[in-house]
Amino acid sequence: MIATLSFLTRRLSQGALIVFLAALIVFTLLRIGPGDPARMLAGGLSDQASVDALSKQMGLDDPFIVQFGKYIGGIVTHGDFGHSYIRSENGQSVGGGHGDSAGASNRASVISLILGRLPLSLALAAAGLGLALVISAPIGIWAGLRAGKWPDSVTIMGSSILVSMPSFWIAGLLVLLVSIKLQWLPAVGYSGPKYLILPAIVLAIEMAPIFIRTWSSAISSMTRRDFIRVAPVRGLGSKAVFTRHVLRGAAVPFINTLGVMLTSLIGSLLVIEYVFDFPGLGKLTVEAVMQRDFPLVQAIAIVISTFFVLVNIAVDYVSGLFDPRLDY
Amino acid sequence: MTKELLKVTDLSIANVGPATPRPILKNLSLSVAESETLAILGRSGAGKSVLGRALMGWVDAPLGVTSGRITLEGQDVLGANPDALRRIRGTGIGYVGADPTRVFDPTLPVGRQIADKYRAVRPEVSAKEAMERVHELFSLVRIPEARHRMAELPSKYSGGMIQRAAIVDAMIGETKLVIADNVTQPLDVTVAAQIIRLFQDLRERLGTAFLFITSSVPTIKDFADRIVVMDQGEIVEEGPTPQLLAAPRTEASEKLIAQSPRIWGTTAPESLSAEDIRDMPPALSITALRRTYKVPRKDKLFGSVFVQAVRGADFDVYPGESLAIVGESGCGKSTLMRLLTWLEEPDDGSVQFHGKNVGSFTARERFDLRAQLQLVLQDPYGSIPAHWTIGRTISESLRLHSPLKGKARRARVEETMAEVGLDPALYDKLPSGLSAGQRQRINVARAIVLEPTVLLLDETFSALDPMEQTPLIELFRKLQRERSITCIFISHDLALVRRVASRVAVMYLGRIVEIGSNHNVFSRPLHPYTRALLSAAPTIEDSPYDPNECLVDGEPPSPIRLPKGCAFADRCPVAQEACMSSDPELMRASERSRVACHFPLAALEPASVKDAAHVG
Ligand SMILES: Nc1ncnc2c1ncn2[C@@H]1O[C@H](COP(=O)(O)OP(=O)(O)OP(=O)(O)O)[C@@H](O)[C@H]1O
Ligand code: SF4
Ligand SMILES: [Mg+2]
Repeated sequence: MIATLSFLTRRLSQGALIVFLAALIVFTLLRIGPGDPARMLAGGLSDQASVDALSKQMGLDDPFIVQFGKYIGGIVTHGDFGHSYIRSENGQSVGGGHGDSAGASNRASVISLILGRLPLSLALAAAGLGLALVISAPIGIWAGLRAGKWPDSVTIMGSSILVSMPSFWIAGLLVLLVSIKLQWLPAVGYSGPKYLILPAIVLAIEMAPIFIRTWSSAISSMTRRDFIRVAPVRGLGSKAVFTRHVLRGAAVPFINTLGVMLTSLIGSLLVIEYVFDFPGLGKLTVEAVMQRDFPLVQAIAIVISTFFVLVNIAVDYVSGLFDPRLDY
Repeated sequence: MTKELLKVTDLSIANVGPATPRPILKNLSLSVAESETLAILGRSGAGKSVLGRALMGWVDAPLGVTSGRITLEGQDVLGANPDALRRIRGTGIGYVGADPTRVFDPTLPVGRQIADKYRAVRPEVSAKEAMERVHELFSLVRIPEARHRMAELPSKYSGGMIQRAAIVDAMIGETKLVIADNVTQPLDVTVAAQIIRLFQDLRERLGTAFLFITSSVPTIKDFADRIVVMDQGEIVEEGPTPQLLAAPRTEASEKLIAQSPRIWGTTAPESLSAEDIRDMPPALSITALRRTYKVPRKDKLFGSVFVQAVRGADFDVYPGESLAIVGESGCGKSTLMRLLTWLEEPDDGSVQFHGKNVGSFTARERFDLRAQLQLVLQDPYGSIPAHWTIGRTISESLRLHSPLKGKARRARVEETMAEVGLDPALYDKLPSGLSAGQRQRINVARAIVLEPTVLLLDETFSALDPMEQTPLIELFRKLQRERSITCIFISHDLALVRRVASRVAVMYLGRIVEIGSNHNVFSRPLHPYTRALLSAAPTIEDSPYDPNECLVDGEPPSPIRLPKGCAFADRCPVAQEACMSSDPELMRASERSRVACHFPLAALEPASVKDAAHVG
């Protein structure tokens, strides 16, 4: 109990620091990078005076530290991540105005933009991950129990080949075959759960080989452990040995891989949502970066780093449940 | 004649992996009666473990049964179907191996694992009943705080404790026969003696039959009803214990008996007499040496605990003598060794080398000290680089510390090799294929090639079997005579210490509790702990100390929570009130002995000990 509490306090405070630093770095990078938001907002035709006024109104003339302080203060005190430079409430890009200096009022709040896109991305991620897990567990465990024999070699070879194929290439192939040739499934955009299927399959194909390899190596290394080998001599049945000891022991490496895959999932979503023109958080991120929508980019960075931190804490905590010797 | 329990007929097992199968067990036949204790005795590699496992129906590739039958109460073991075999293993025969740390899943509480096993072999038992039964047996094998222990992970158990748990695991299904393969081998002497006593006790109380596999005669001499001697996969002799030990009929048995350790029947080594020693200034002088490690705590947000590894060690070592430091694992021997060689600095106290304080040495002086004071390590395999020629391994330190070059260096190395009994022709060879004894000679050559004045030997002989030990001990005697090297042996093996040391220091929980001449310590121990160690020592002779009277219970307290008074008080058979409150200092007890005890055993010298040794 005390150990858990101590673990959580320690890790959450470390995590908060990491998120803060990530926010600071992104904030700095955006400020020193090219592009003047005020000019962009004001529109290419505006005169210098109105750009300066806008700049002042947005606080862009304040010293860097004051800007950052205000930004963080807004988040901490009322969860305010600011408003998009570009997007209106209905989600359309408005930016590049004609000097009419559209007020912040009709620009969308960053939070609502993110929350609007998040469910779709989560659904896609869950579908892809779920599919990968369902496929990989039986194959990986089956291969792991036959380490050194042909099933093991075949799965290792097969997954190596899959891992080395880039996901956009697989995506292209699938779209061509399933969507264009056979016309079974829609490929681009989103208007209903059917649109989840193809991108989820691509995600799963990307992740499954890695899970398969984790399962097979974890299971086969467990079966070589002394206490597993003497378990039958103690009088335990092979089923009990498998569920109570082999699976338990393999759970720790599996959970660690799961953690790594969850974080790398973010990168995959960026690519796949872009390729499938899938209106999720990944696509929003790509657009926000390309449009220099600073508040949106910053908020997404904070969301992603928070996710990283939480996944890592959860992985370590759950691993500790399976193997109490682990001491974080 | 009691009923026959286990019967082995004409059993042969071979390594069937290679093209021509290599026989490992050849036509063995034996039987074990109900409640009988049978010892299987034989030197390493005789095939004892293969036999022990086969009795459990446990023959894995590349081994295969080529002929014979094993039956337990008439039921075939080798041909049993998986379910029947499981019942035999759980309720018929139990198995305890040499390495009990590998029996349990390291991530689950021990009690639960044993209860799981019990329910696997006795499905009618409820979970609660199973835990109760585990608790009962934990108390029977005298695991303290049984309930609390059951909930702990295997890694929290000490060696003796986990061995007791493994015994419970083997017996919980009301097994009729327990096979114990080398169970005392990894344990400290006092703990090993407790485990043997536990087996005796269990046999009397439960009437279980035991098959005790070992290569050590002393371990089973008071315990087994009958002995079967194995050699090279064959049974060469069998008979009741007293007769077989008194009059062995085969060479194999004779050898096993002759090589068994003795303490009282041998003499202490000749060496400089104590008289000469005291007139010389010490080579090494240790005063109030302390070392404490700070270890962070897991169960608290902040804070750490302090492990007192060495708590004020005090002694002198005189030129040309050999001092042995004995004690059980965890008593701080190795830490002391690191402090002596200044590999680690003490928190407090001083080490003086020929009268000069090592703490105030300059870097240059410390570098030279390394050449003067050499360490010979325990592990003959890990400590020699496999890809270096033997010559290079030995000459490495000459490169650093000596001006000798080229031919002269090689000549010196070859000379040293000849001196330690290594063929100089091995100079350009790699060490692969050398025996443990030969490797240990390389280590010795490496240490003496710089002509050090002090040698520190940390369990140097422990990894060697008795046949390899003797010539190396002879080698050291010779080196000491010829070069008057000062040797400090660190060892847990009392019989070995008896043969090599002129003086003996006994260590308990980071402190020297007794120091005296070989003769005094072995035949007139002053400290109750020394006497307990002696009574537990596995020797073929009858110990003059009755284990029932002298042997200590339990295990050393942890060096974290030390009691206020004497650290030995809670295990000491003669402790009195004063011992709980005041910590005894190491005091001069007689002309040549010092002891840290309020009530030393001076008057209790047993009459049965002949004054066989004459070294003072
Ligand atoms: N799995 C195996 N594969 C091949 N050879 C083996 C195997 N197990 C044992 N042997 C061989 O069988 C012989 C007997 O080994 P065993 O372990 O039974 O000896 P032991 O009498 O138990 O020795 P120790 O006292 O050292 O435990 C040895 O030559 C060993 O190399
Ligand atoms: S001081 Fe007391 S407790 Fe300690 S060893 Fe001596 S008699 Fe035993
Ligand atoms: Mg063996």
